[in-house]
Amino acid sequence: MLPQTRIGALLHTDHLATIETLQAVDEMLEKHRKAKNPPAIEGEVKELLQRLSKTMRAEVEKHFGFEENHLFTVFLNHGETGMVNILLQEHKTILPLALSLADKADKALEGGFSDVSWAEFRSQGGELVERELFHIQKEEMGMLAAISYLVTPDWDAKLAETYEQTVR
Amino acid sequence: MFPGGVPMGAQDRLQPPSIPYRFFASALLFHAAAWVLLLIGADELPGFRGGMGAVPAALHLITLGVLAMTALGAAFQLLPVATRHPLGPVWACRLTWALFVPGVVLFAAGLITVKPMFLHGGATLTAVGLGLGVLLIGRNLVRVADLPGVTWHTWIAVASAAALLLLGLALAGDVGVGFLPDRGAVAAAHAILAAYGFMGNLAMGFSTILVPMFVLGPNVPSQTGQRTAVLSGLGLVLAVGGVLAGLGWLAALGGVAGLAAVGLHLHALSMVLKKRMRKRLEPFFRLIFPAWGMLVLSLVLGIALALGAPVAPLWGFALVFGWLLTFVTALLQRIMPFLASMHSSAGGKPARLSELTARRPLDIHAACHGAALVLVLAGIAFDVPLLVRGGAVSGLGGAIAFWVFAALLARRYQLHMTSHS
Repeated sequence: MLPQTRIGALLHTDHLATIETLQAVDEMLEKHRKAKNPPAIEGEVKELLQRLSKTMRAEVEKHFGFEENHLFTVFLNHGETGMVNILLQEHKTILPLALSLADKADKALEGGFSDVSWAEFRSQGGELVERELFHIQKEEMGMLAAISYLVTPDWDAKLAETYEQTVR
Repeated sequence: MFPGGVPMGAQDRLQPPSIPYRFFASALLFHAAAWVLLLIGADELPGFRGGMGAVPAALHLITLGVLAMTALGAAFQLLPVATRHPLGPVWACRLTWALFVPGVVLFAAGLITVKPMFLHGGATLTAVGLGLGVLLIGRNLVRVADLPGVTWHTWIAVASAAALLLLGLALAGDVGVGFLPDRGAVAAAHAILAAYGFMGNLAMGFSTILVPMFVLGPNVPSQTGQRTAVLSGLGLVLAVGGVLAGLGWLAALGGVAGLAAVGLHLHALSMVLKKRMRKRLEPFFRLIFPAWGMLVLSLVLGIALALGAPVAPLWGFALVFGWLLTFVTALLQRIMPFLASMHSSAGGKPARLSELTARRPLDIHAACHGAALVLVLAGIAFDVPLLVRGGAVSGLGGAIAFWVFAALLARRYQLHMTSHS
């Protein structure tokens, strides 16, 4: 959790932003759990939906893409197949879920929540919060530690540069 | 997306699920059996001063059957992941279990029936099984240069295990022969090495990995882990030396060093909790916090005992049932679904923790376990066996609720794997 590499620090910063957004979503869902009507799209709810859409698209399209196309190759070259398999499988599950929730947030920003769309948002939101936080737990403890151990300083610089170009 | 498929390499370090779960399932059975034995021995517990019967059998079913059993299962699964080195052949893990489980059963039977044949046979099987497990852990640690905050504690646990096994074999061999000059002192040293040395150091070492992971908090600095390991090792040497030499003040000094180690350890973990990214603490922390409180209480009682206070049964119960059993059942209820979810990736879409975890049985376990601790501690303190009996019944209720949780977890895992295969 205290990354010793540049690429570890960059990924960790992304995780912090994602966790902050997901916790806000979790709190919003909890706050409106027993309410009869869906929340109005204004104030904090509106700001959160905008943040959710932006953060989750960045997380699954750019962050996941970087890990899969660049970082996991380094791990596989060191025989770290078990960890890569688990993380890839989780990416496959989280990606469509995150994009679907981001779409639902965009639609709500345009026309508000109906009873049906709110129920779907609540269900998918709860699932995404749980899956993504569990995923980040593993990446923070397993993947960032493995980066410190496996990635040489030269590779660290190359990966950080690639990250700056493709994700930021 | 990632190009092509992922080849399976020889360096996969996650053990097959059958390895940790066979240890965990055995631990849950021994957990319930221990409360039954405590119920049977309730009248003896408040004034217990050592010897044979249902009380020491219950105690050993917890220490060997639940605590060491869970520690072996968890270490076999988590250590290779944490240290990034393979543990050893799967057959050796299976053999450890195959020797250890009948050993614990036979040894407990020996304590109840006071038959040297059972005691000696059980102690030998247990020692060989546990010794093999500890050997596998030590073999893994030899290859690790980093993670000193974890490995120093684990090395102390390994050394303590070797010493406690030798003393345990001597105690078992002494039954019916009587070659030990001071059996009580050897038993006390054996207890200190088992609870604080072996289990305590494993708990402290692994807590520095698991607590930050579960709450998404910063790591415990390596230097802090090294300092707590040094203090803990010093405390063990003084305490064990003190009880073996009959010097109560020296043993009490060991307890003070242990308190300092625990104070530093808990302060470091409180910093992790304070700076955590995940705000909502998971339900298993409702057992972790009282377990830490019981750890401190056990050390205070241990110091008092070393200075002559008549608190041996209170110390033993706070130490084994209060601290270690509470701590281990807390981790077990989090690790079991965690590992099941990790293994469920093999079936495609990974199962969610909330899908696998049955909350209600865990709520019942927490309530029953808490009530059991309060009742038994009060029963010992005020010499009221009826309270001990009530506590044992409550503890048994908690153990059965934990079974239900585990059975539902297995059922839900199977359903998930079937529907996603």
